[in-house]
Amino acid sequence: MLLTMDKELIQIIGVTLKMSFFSTLISCFLGLPLGVLIERGRFWGRRTLKKTASTLMGLPPVVAGLIVYMLFTKYGIFGSLGLLFTVEVMVIAQVLLITPVVICLTSSVISVSGKHLSETARGLSLSKGKTLLLFVFHNRRALLSVVLTAFGRSIAEVGAVSLVGGNIQWKTRVMTTAILLETNKGKFTFALALGMVLLLISLIVNIGASLLTKRRDSDD
Amino acid sequence: MIKCENILKKYSDRTVLSIPQLEIKSGESVCLTGANGSGKSTLLKIIAGVIPFEGKLEAQGSILYMPQKSLCFDMSVLSNVTYSLSGKKKDKEEIAFEALKKVGLEALYKKNASGLSGGEAARLSLARLLVHECDILLLDEPTGAVDIEGTEIIENAVKSFVKENKCTLITATHSPLQAKRMSDRVIMLEKGEKVEDSSPEELLIAPKTDFGKKFVDMWRY
Repeated sequence: MLLTMDKELIQIIGVTLKMSFFSTLISCFLGLPLGVLIERGRFWGRRTLKKTASTLMGLPPVVAGLIVYMLFTKYGIFGSLGLLFTVEVMVIAQVLLITPVVICLTSSVISVSGKHLSETARGLSLSKGKTLLLFVFHNRRALLSVVLTAFGRSIAEVGAVSLVGGNIQWKTRVMTTAILLETNKGKFTFALALGMVLLLISLIVNIGASLLTKRRDSDD
Repeated sequence: MIKCENILKKYSDRTVLSIPQLEIKSGESVCLTGANGSGKSTLLKIIAGVIPFEGKLEAQGSILYMPQKSLCFDMSVLSNVTYSLSGKKKDKEEIAFEALKKVGLEALYKKNASGLSGGEAARLSLARLLVHECDILLLDEPTGAVDIEGTEIIENAVKSFVKENKCTLITATHSPLQAKRMSDRVIMLEKGEKVEDSSPEELLIAPKTDFGKKFVDMWRY
């Protein structure tokens, strides 16, 4: 099945990658700056924001799925958008789950070098923009791990996406929901094949990320 | 000119620095000395504007500051120095390379700074400052983790920078002997208070306070 590249399998992989890519992208776009801000910024409500983010890290996926489901169901606040059982709403549920993880991990990455890096930057009279850039560049390896963790969580998620996506064939079926379905049907070969593809994608993403960091280093 | 009036720094209820009056003239080279926790670093941080404090501080001109735990950025040695510069890449690299030569790190310019030894890292931290001009140079134990040879390189580079820029130099150090080599005035701190303010020779030969005597004697033996 893997070698002949079954049409349905390719479609499932495509939906999975699309959903994981966009949810990771949006989560990192929101979570990375927020994580830096929580750690280095001095503003009212900073501690509350940090506590909220760490609490939401433990948010059960099905609960996240339920919240999004209720928001986007026919009689929900966003029901008129008609997004329920689409890849878009799956991305929204994933963002709700992953963003707190990105915020907390970014915050702890920054806290390790934060004080000394900040003092060093201040001593060199670096502008705020250059200091922020320095924080990101100096911690790029650790931040890349944050991005990979977010992608890993996204690609492996099943509870929320099956709830809001509905696991519809040729539309919202992703690898994890397909594995669950095929296992329930007793089709272990197909389920196993999907599991192998899932692992392979994770491996490729990890290798790509480490190559990217290596190339950047030699550019210095 | 640096003028401190009733400077007070507390962490929770603990007073770590209390300086009623201190004046440092432009072009003066001053060493802050004293035991660990005496308030040297705190005073430098206050002058550098890194930490908040109570009291009045006047510091005229641009300030460059090298913290005690100055971090080498995770990039090449050359990029560490060019990062704070602006202008064309080639010009920045030429300036940076000259600074690296002054601290004897030119051969390592391609190496990633995270792989440097403690002494090399201290020299790189100094090189990052040498590419700029300033009115006040603040160095917090710049040779704390450096061997004798490295110490000499750092001291010479600092001295020629100060001479070229005609700037005020304030160095925190544990060593009264380094204070003698680097400065024409030594301020000794104990538990956050100024206990001695004299020339390095005076401090070494005839300290005014018991703490000063004890501190200098410990360095003699």
